[in-house]
Amino acid sequence: MPNGLFWIVKVPDSAVQITEDTLTIHLVDVPTVDAFTFPPPPQDVPGISPFQLIPAKVSFDITYTKTGNPRRIRPASHDPLSPLNWAGQMWNATNSGTFSLAYNDGTFSASGSFDSSGNFGEMGTERNGSFVNHEEEADNDDVEATAQSLSLPLQPTQMSQLAASETAKQPAKVVLLKGRVPVKVTY
Amino acid sequence: MRSRLVYLLFFLLAFSVPLGAQIEPIPNLIVQPIPLPGGDISPPYGLYNQFFPGPPGATPPFDPINADPQGITNFRGVTAMGYTSGMTKDKQYVVITDIRVYQGEYIGGEIADPNPMNSAGATRSAHAHGTFVEI
Repeated sequence: MPNGLFWIVKVPDSAVQITEDTLTIHLVDVPTVDAFTFPPPPQDVPGISPFQLIPAKVSFDITYTKTGNPRRIRPASHDPLSPLNWAGQMWNATNSGTFSLAYNDGTFSASGSFDSSGNFGEMGTERNGSFVNHEEEADNDDVEATAQSLSLPLQPTQMSQLAASETAKQPAKVVLLKGRVPVKVTY
Repeated sequence: MRSRLVYLLFFLLAFSVPLGAQIEPIPNLIVQPIPLPGGDISPPYGLYNQFFPGPPGATPPFDPINADPQGITNFRGVTAMGYTSGMTKDKQYVVITDIRVYQGEYIGGEIADPNPMNSAGATRSAHAHGTFVEI
């Protein structure tokens, strides 16, 4: 990950199909690695990673589906490092899919399915970085007039009341995501 | 029946091999997408160039719901992401994913002067289009 783009690969445009309410992606044999843990443990020797990367390939089909009303996102910060320095129109989204994966050396393989199961997801259109700076005026023109207006909250407690009430209905359990960040699974 | 299965397999392979072959690692791209400058800082790793938006009232472990879900900056287009859970078919493993899809235009960096005598690969801004998947 020398460039800071975690696990990102460029794929053909044809791998993604977008309709008004869904986005479907179909990928076959994407080269990846199994790192076992992330972040990696502290290095024993400077410059030498102590964890092992196993080359593998993964295939999957996933469909994301919009739910509810859109949130209109306006940039709430000019700080380039802020999570709130972007604009767009996002819907909460469910998703489901199937997958298969195998180590290149054939020592491990698995397949199965997954779905959002109440976990958070979203989809929509967005712009960030220089596209936000260049189009800040346009952000104020209600070009996405059908969107439900929702300014970016500065604190989590200032979130949409509608979204908050929907979430409050479900108790949650924290599990690990890829070993890198906690994920809240709702039932 | 068997011939129909082989027929189907032929088409699956014919479709899948070219698609797999067109997957491009980021370092191979002429116009390199630029990572989001911000992100979550988590010791001992440091800065992830990524936010993890979550539902209201779930910070931590998530960032606020309106945190940028993108991994690439200077981007304009469609973004989809979602946290999932599932099982392998043999019920031996729980599968938890965070797969994000980005399709649109971006301003990244390309080598300004390809003549190696003139620079070590110094960049200039360049406009490009792409579909990216974060696995």
